[in-house]
Amino acid sequence: MSTNEAQQSSRLLRGVRRTLTGLHPALESLIAALVGLLVGAILMAVWGYDPWRAYIALFQGAYGGSYEWASSLTRTTPLILTALTFSICLRAGMFNIGAEGQMYMGATAAICISYFTLPFGLHHAVGLLFAALAGAAWSLIPAALKMMRGVSEVISTIMFNWIAKWLALYLAIYVLVDPLRGEKTVSIPLTARFPLLVPRTDLSYGIFVSVAFALFIYFLLWHTTTGYELRAAGLNPAAARYGGIRDKRTMFLSFILGGIAAGLAGATIVMGLPPTYAIYGGGGLPQLVNMGFDGMAVAMVGRNHPIGIIIAAIFFGGLNAGGRVMQFYGSNPVPLEMVRVVMGAIVIAMSIPELIRVFPMLANSSKNLLNTMRRGRKEESA
Amino acid sequence: MSFSDIISLLRISLHAMVPLALTAIGEIVGETAGLFNIGLEGILLISAFAGAIGAEAGGPYIGLLIGAGVGGLISLLFAVINTYWRGTQMVTGIGINLFAMGFVAFGLIQLGAPGFHMVPSTIVVDGAEKAIQLAKFRTPWGMFSPMILLALVLPFVVHWFLKRTRAGLMLKAAGEMPEAADVAGININRIRILAAVFGGILAGLAGAYMSVAWLGLVTKGLSAGRGFIALACVVFSGLNPLLALLAAFIFGFFQALAEWVKTLPSKPIPGEFVSMLPYIVTLLVVSGAIGRVRFPKFLGTPYKRE
Amino acid sequence: MTDARTPAENDFFLRAEKITKVYSDGTVALKEASLEIHPHEIIGLLGENGAGKTTLTKILSGLLPPTRGRVISPKGAVHFTSPREALDFGIGMVHQHFALVGTFTAAENVALGFERPFSRLQLAKTIENLEALMEESGLQIPLDVPVEKLAVGEQQRVEVLKVLSRNVDLLILDEPTSVLTPLEVDELFVLLRQLRDAGKSIILITHKLKEVQDITDRIVVLRQGEMVGDVKTADATTERLAQLMVGQAAEIEAVELSDTELPVRRVLKAVDRSKDSILHVEHLTVRGNTGDIAVDDISFDIYGGEIFGIAGVEGNGQTELVESLTGLRVPTSGKATIKGTNILGIDPRKIYELGVAHIPEDRWELGLVLPFTLAENAILGVHRWKEFRGFLSVLRWGKINKHVRELMDRFEIRASGPGAPAKSLSGGNQQKLIVGRELAKDPAIIVAAQPTRGLDIGSAHYIRQTLVDMREKGRAILLVSADLDEVLAHADRVAIMYEGRFMEVCSPDELDREKVGMLMGGVTAAKETA
Repeated sequence: MSTNEAQQSSRLLRGVRRTLTGLHPALESLIAALVGLLVGAILMAVWGYDPWRAYIALFQGAYGGSYEWASSLTRTTPLILTALTFSICLRAGMFNIGAEGQMYMGATAAICISYFTLPFGLHHAVGLLFAALAGAAWSLIPAALKMMRGVSEVISTIMFNWIAKWLALYLAIYVLVDPLRGEKTVSIPLTARFPLLVPRTDLSYGIFVSVAFALFIYFLLWHTTTGYELRAAGLNPAAARYGGIRDKRTMFLSFILGGIAAGLAGATIVMGLPPTYAIYGGGGLPQLVNMGFDGMAVAMVGRNHPIGIIIAAIFFGGLNAGGRVMQFYGSNPVPLEMVRVVMGAIVIAMSIPELIRVFPMLANSSKNLLNTMRRGRKEESA
Repeated sequence: MSFSDIISLLRISLHAMVPLALTAIGEIVGETAGLFNIGLEGILLISAFAGAIGAEAGGPYIGLLIGAGVGGLISLLFAVINTYWRGTQMVTGIGINLFAMGFVAFGLIQLGAPGFHMVPSTIVVDGAEKAIQLAKFRTPWGMFSPMILLALVLPFVVHWFLKRTRAGLMLKAAGEMPEAADVAGININRIRILAAVFGGILAGLAGAYMSVAWLGLVTKGLSAGRGFIALACVVFSGLNPLLALLAAFIFGFFQALAEWVKTLPSKPIPGEFVSMLPYIVTLLVVSGAIGRVRFPKFLGTPYKRE
Repeated sequence: MTDARTPAENDFFLRAEKITKVYSDGTVALKEASLEIHPHEIIGLLGENGAGKTTLTKILSGLLPPTRGRVISPKGAVHFTSPREALDFGIGMVHQHFALVGTFTAAENVALGFERPFSRLQLAKTIENLEALMEESGLQIPLDVPVEKLAVGEQQRVEVLKVLSRNVDLLILDEPTSVLTPLEVDELFVLLRQLRDAGKSIILITHKLKEVQDITDRIVVLRQGEMVGDVKTADATTERLAQLMVGQAAEIEAVELSDTELPVRRVLKAVDRSKDSILHVEHLTVRGNTGDIAVDDISFDIYGGEIFGIAGVEGNGQTELVESLTGLRVPTSGKATIKGTNILGIDPRKIYELGVAHIPEDRWELGLVLPFTLAENAILGVHRWKEFRGFLSVLRWGKINKHVRELMDRFEIRASGPGAPAKSLSGGNQQKLIVGRELAKDPAIIVAAQPTRGLDIGSAHYIRQTLVDMREKGRAILLVSADLDEVLAHADRVAIMYEGRFMEVCSPDELDREKVGMLMGGVTAAKETA
């Protein structure tokens, strides 16, 4: 092979890669999703289940009809927001793993509006406001610790998740408890509940809150100077400083926005989830738990972009909703927990940057091996 | 608080220290070489589960071995993704945690009781009593697990290793300036993988310890943030194994204290606040300690030779 | 001139045959380059930035595999899969960016290369061996200090010792003199000649025409990956070498050598200096990252219509000086004003508003956000201008893109469009983008730190011309450059910086090579006569 041929073949490879690179991010997410589902299938098979039937039940339960779609979108609602928490901070160069705790605080704060009356509409707004403030406040403490003492936000946000869990439990069981039914808090009053979007489902108008916030974040990050500064600081802090951007400011802003997002997630759950519109203290906050961590998976699959997050959240919401159906599918019930296994596998697959190149990589190493052998043969004949 | 109470508290502290210390030491080796594994939490959880199953099949040593092996395997995957395949360490770690949460919950359901599973200390097989849990030593001050000795000795061994062998130098070079190590003929990827697998084995051992040698059960949330507390130990220690041991003991102490307060007849503080204690203490310690420590320059960055 | 011994016909140490290297992204770094290396020989590997010199030597020293071609020794083909194998064979390389672990001492860095991982570290023995080596070679360094605390010249000596301790037969040095004072260069060359006479082969990578004629026996020229010349140094002329380096019809930067061995100054148009100084610096003292004093009580003024050059080997405080004047570092004491307004310890944005443009010395780390598009980079630092920012901080992409297209036109920036990611541009185009962005501020003073570092000759020429044009328009320019030739050729006044102090501030006409060498090495006239 002469130099020209070497150049040509790499030019061809470049061309192929460029086409793929254009669709690159979405394609990677898709492949990661497929890999995750594959891993789930293997595990199911190992444990004696039929993966094909399980997945059929799963996807029918997620997207099979309008009721199923409504179920999925119900679960999509908070996921969009907790995903945004992670992504906004990541874009600013920070790792905010605290969506879980910030969401608990938001939900708890939202419950507090049950203690006074306000007209419909205003009551909603106040509920969202309380939740947003609580989430932001909970997220600001780790940010402050980072700024003042250099504490890694990875560790501090996680510690605050645990603290929030216990705090929320305490408040739910002892302070905000429903005097008539001890296992739950007081319910959100009718004037503050999100009306159902689709009757006889769980889907409420809360989803508009999520989508609206996502669109707001999109606009903020790519069409305002504030968002520009945040992204620059996240990608290259030194250059951002050179450009006159104050990194402390962008860090705090990202944590505030992230906290607001997580707080709102909590609000959409308590203010939007029939039938009780409350937090269950007994059983460890069942409707809230793990929304934060699942949100991170959504963020990654959504490439940390608000639009991608919306799409990924629809997918993951579907997995959750469909998982319930898969669990009760008479002939082949697979426990719901398998969904989280799939999610974890998807995220692990997402962490490989050039997933589509893994196979070419294997092809490459075998090509190199062949070349070495060929070279050996050439020298013998030389 | 009586003398026996204090002894009891210390005893529980030492036991609680073990998983933190082992995991932290393992992570120190990994981070020295440049890999930051946030998935320790997940590894602890899965190895606890795997260890329990192993122990029930073949006895405590098999259980510990399987736990360590599972930890090593997961870390191997983590390491390969983040060296040869140039992955993003944070994302892989988060994925491992998610996967473990689902896998263990799923597995527990398969074992019969959703959410938790008791590991018997012994079972009767063909008329003979077979140990499942790792037996504890009986001393005048109570029952102690032999793993405590391991946790106390290992930091010194690793500390010596890092400081006084050429391999320790190689690890530090791989994390601090991979280019220099590469030129000196060190295979960066291979050394990082070895370091990570070592860390994974220790974390796996820690997980198996929890189910097989200490608590005797497996639950969905057994790890309870210990993986992250171990990370806090690593941060506090500045990659010095001896300081990590100290941190592990401190956190173990507060975990023990929390448990002890819960057992008091009169409850001065609500149980929920007591449960918060270890995490608050972690925060305080980490907030206080930062400033002196310096981490490898290339921690978290994959190495590319071109 | 050099005193070379004629090698026997078949007496070669290593031969590279038709080496081709194509990187994974498609760039062709080397095209069938061949080179024969003999013992008792110093070869100069000449070429401009990006010609492939470093790539070729990385292949020879085992860091990279060739795509095509092979390397053979008298005993047969050799194939290195790692630098260690090359070292064992006898090839060692001193890199341009040192491959040293900063937190290790010199002894630990050397010990890194030895066998048996699980053995106890025998640092005492390593130190003993090193001391013997230092005796032999004449290179002195402290052995127990973390390498990051050493001066750059000392660090290089550690690198050289590291390689020598492995008893190499072929020593490759990549641009070693770019971090040395003229005195240190002389010392290095003495060592190289010693090694050559003892039978070693040496490859010296450089882009400096004068230097390569000084020390080498043979000169090999690379241009765009191809071997275009292989001549005996005695037979080479500067013009011929420059031609080979850059290509036939291309215009060469007029950096000629005169009898005094200093570059001939560009004929700068006579321009009236502004009456008042634009930048006024008084007793400025700045501490570096290690806490040591980097800038030591410096005072100077820069006027409109002049280029004020700061020459000196990198690492003598230039970086810290520039940082303190552009809002990136807070000085310890002193005063600095632009037209009377203080610029110390304030936000970079405020400094830009005062009319300062900053072309940073590290375009990847400071000057650009590489993942951003051209447009996004073009507004870095000026993104809050009313022109680009509308109601409620909304960015006006329409206006911004128009502005970027104008810049691309004016400064001949070659890219696919304002939406192209900055990392897809070549170094030269990236730098032009930065220059364009900064000049669009219509600044009163331009701070240019190492503005042509790592650029191809065409772009370097363009940028220097731009600065000269700005001078003619009456702007003040602070040019900081480790390229002595560049500074001396373009400055109205020059300050030679050494260990944080200005050794002397004068016109370049007043300097000769000896004086410059001494000043850069820290010797003042006063000390000399003492």
